Amino acid sequence: RKQKDNDTASLSTPSSPDALPAAAASPRAPPARASRRVASPGPATARAAPMGRGGARDGAAAAPPWHSLPDEVLEHAFSFLPAAADRGAAAAVCHGWLGAERRSRRRLAVANCYAAAPRDAVDRFPSVRAAEVKGKPHFADFGLVPPAWGAEAAPWVAAAADGWPLLEELSFKRMVVTDECLEMIASSFRNFQVLRLVSCEGFSTAGLAAITEGCRNLRELDLQENYIEDCSSHWLSYFPESFTSLETLNFSCLEGEVNFAVLERLVSRCRNLKTLKLNNAIPLDKVASLLRKAPQLVELGTGKFSAEYHSDLFAKLEAAFAGCKSLRRLSGAWDAVPDYLPAFYCVCEGLTSLNLSYATVRGPELIKFISRCKNLQQLWVMDLIEDHGLAVVAGSCSKLQELRVFPSDPFGAGQVLLTERGLVDVSASCPMLESVLYFCGQMTNEALITIAKNRPNFTCFRLCILEPRTPDYVTRESLDAGFSAIVESCKGLRRLSVSGLLTDLVFKSIGANGNCLEMLSIAFAGNSDLGLHYILSGCKTLKKLEIRDCPFGNKPLLANAAKLETMRSLWMSSCSLTLGACRQLAEKMPRLTVEIMNDPGRTCPVESLPDDSPVETLYVYRTIAGPRSDTPDYVQIV
Amino acid sequence: MELELELGLAPPNHAGSCGKRGTKEAFGIDKAGLPLILRDDDGDHGSNCSDARDWEMSNKKKRLVGWPPVKSAHRPRSNGGHVKVKMEGVPIGRKVDLSRHASYHQLHHTLRLMFPSSTSHHGDPYAVTYEEGDGDWMLVGDVPWEDTVMSAKRLKILLV
Repeated sequence: RKQKDNDTASLSTPSSPDALPAAAASPRAPPARASRRVASPGPATARAAPMGRGGARDGAAAAPPWHSLPDEVLEHAFSFLPAAADRGAAAAVCHGWLGAERRSRRRLAVANCYAAAPRDAVDRFPSVRAAEVKGKPHFADFGLVPPAWGAEAAPWVAAAADGWPLLEELSFKRMVVTDECLEMIASSFRNFQVLRLVSCEGFSTAGLAAITEGCRNLRELDLQENYIEDCSSHWLSYFPESFTSLETLNFSCLEGEVNFAVLERLVSRCRNLKTLKLNNAIPLDKVASLLRKAPQLVELGTGKFSAEYHSDLFAKLEAAFAGCKSLRRLSGAWDAVPDYLPAFYCVCEGLTSLNLSYATVRGPELIKFISRCKNLQQLWVMDLIEDHGLAVVAGSCSKLQELRVFPSDPFGAGQVLLTERGLVDVSASCPMLESVLYFCGQMTNEALITIAKNRPNFTCFRLCILEPRTPDYVTRESLDAGFSAIVESCKGLRRLSVSGLLTDLVFKSIGANGNCLEMLSIAFAGNSDLGLHYILSGCKTLKKLEIRDCPFGNKPLLANAAKLETMRSLWMSSCSLTLGACRQLAEKMPRLTVEIMNDPGRTCPVESLPDDSPVETLYVYRTIAGPRSDTPDYVQIV
Repeated sequence: MELELELGLAPPNHAGSCGKRGTKEAFGIDKAGLPLILRDDDGDHGSNCSDARDWEMSNKKKRLVGWPPVKSAHRPRSNGGHVKVKMEGVPIGRKVDLSRHASYHQLHHTLRLMFPSSTSHHGDPYAVTYEEGDGDWMLVGDVPWEDTVMSAKRLKILLV
């Protein structure tokens, strides 16, 4: 079972077998014999001798019954449960286990920063060394959440600074992280090692300078798709000359320049550097010299890659890449002159991950390049690869597990030759394919049914047909049959995004068959309340539901109110909800926060509005922290 | 609670019962007195879109907020999205990343935060203009939001 939701999963690596993080194999793993003894009644091991709460016993006495084992024993047993869900289950057994589990928890993942208060989280799990907190709803990625919505990291940093002085890792996703936060991180945790910021905003290079200057044991600085204000601060220069512990450096989202000489010296002295992702400001020839300094790299992001062809630069690149025997993951913004691609041929066979989703390179050179990557597990490309390119991928990359195809021209007239054909080919020939994100202009039920038959092992299937409500282009019917085939066939499906013309019937199928489904995204689909009712009354394991522009109204929401407490969150925008239903929902379910969002600028208080007022956006989530107090004027908590 | 639901077929161009779309944000006159007028391609419809549905029905090709669902990082953009913003009467300029906004209304919201009414214009109406490729200054709001993101080089807020 892929450990995606647990608290050891990394945000940047794909869920592939060889990416299993080291923490999952507990560093405290004992010889197997001892672990067997701990788990079953039997003679006490020497380790049981130190006394815990289980009562005073000496090592020679009979073993305590399992339900009164000393804490040290319990904590040791729990150290074999990295998955948060398993730890949670153990904690629910009895008070003794609850206490032992929470005191020994090392990794904490807070999937919704408003689900619990930071201080409560820190108090409950005092031994945490690694924490991950996520903020804004997923649709914030597409601009559906206006600025200043909330999700400030500051309260979490403050609570952590107080209660987790030994914190080593901190990860924020879709949150507002300020320079003050970064300064506090740099000064509060003497053994801080890993900072990961994904889709965050609110900080500048000055904050980064605080990190590079203050975190003497930093191993990872991973900045993914953040909005970083450029203060022209030479943040990279603040790493001391004696600093050598860096293993991951990702500043690909940074817009500004960095001092290349400083970067080169840093790379030279950090012999454990495995991941280096550069930004657009680093030109090709500099990439070559960095590679010569760091041939041990496992992951490289090349930054800007457009350059006129020069044969000596080509030779430099080819030589530099030839030295990188460990390179497995490659990415970059390749407005690439295709003539340079052969410089990478030597690394193709070793590559497991290729991210060309920012690359506008197209044509036969691209396809030839990918076809050499026989061991590819993860491929992200633009639709410029077209159907015939994907056919080559299907034939060459038999180990492919994850495919993402992004639209090069999201609003254009559809001149790209990528259709359903490409996806059908890949699904037919790549037996390990389990995760797909596919943007295209057309689809048929027949294609989807074929794909479903070929690949019952899908765990993530996200199809986005660019024009809303597009029917099967051959039969002009809805795509109900196709998506139904997907959910019926893929019994392990955990994530699904639907698109195209869809009626309520597809939701009946999803509700009935989506027994592992955790996240569902719906847009411009359905025709009545029934559609939403099918989902909420089915889909037993649903955690996140996000809906936009569907004719779903109040009734199914109220009829399935209790379901919402079993889920992490529900987003509904541009549907047919009214304020009265939201009020009823809030009243009925005190452990949910019911947030409504109207147009920024409209600041009349929600109390004065009548029940039949339309609600533009509803965001509901379960919480044990009560209503948040940091809402902007356009958000009202009902 | 009894749930009375009926299964019905979707009419071919079913758009009506979706309620408001995000595009409604881009319409009408904002309370702060900043006109953000979005006309459709035909130029036939008036700016006061009290009947958003009619507009929606006749402009299916209109760009929707946040659709298709690609992150701003994946959208093609010319200058990285950041443009300088200067306001008449305010000495210090600001920078705003257009690609991180999905609509005129979101831009307006950000501009209001950057240039609060207390500083210079005391709530007087003002207009947002942008300089495009060939150096012309245009009133913000005439063309679909995405076109403005691609072509705007800088913004200037003028007191009307």
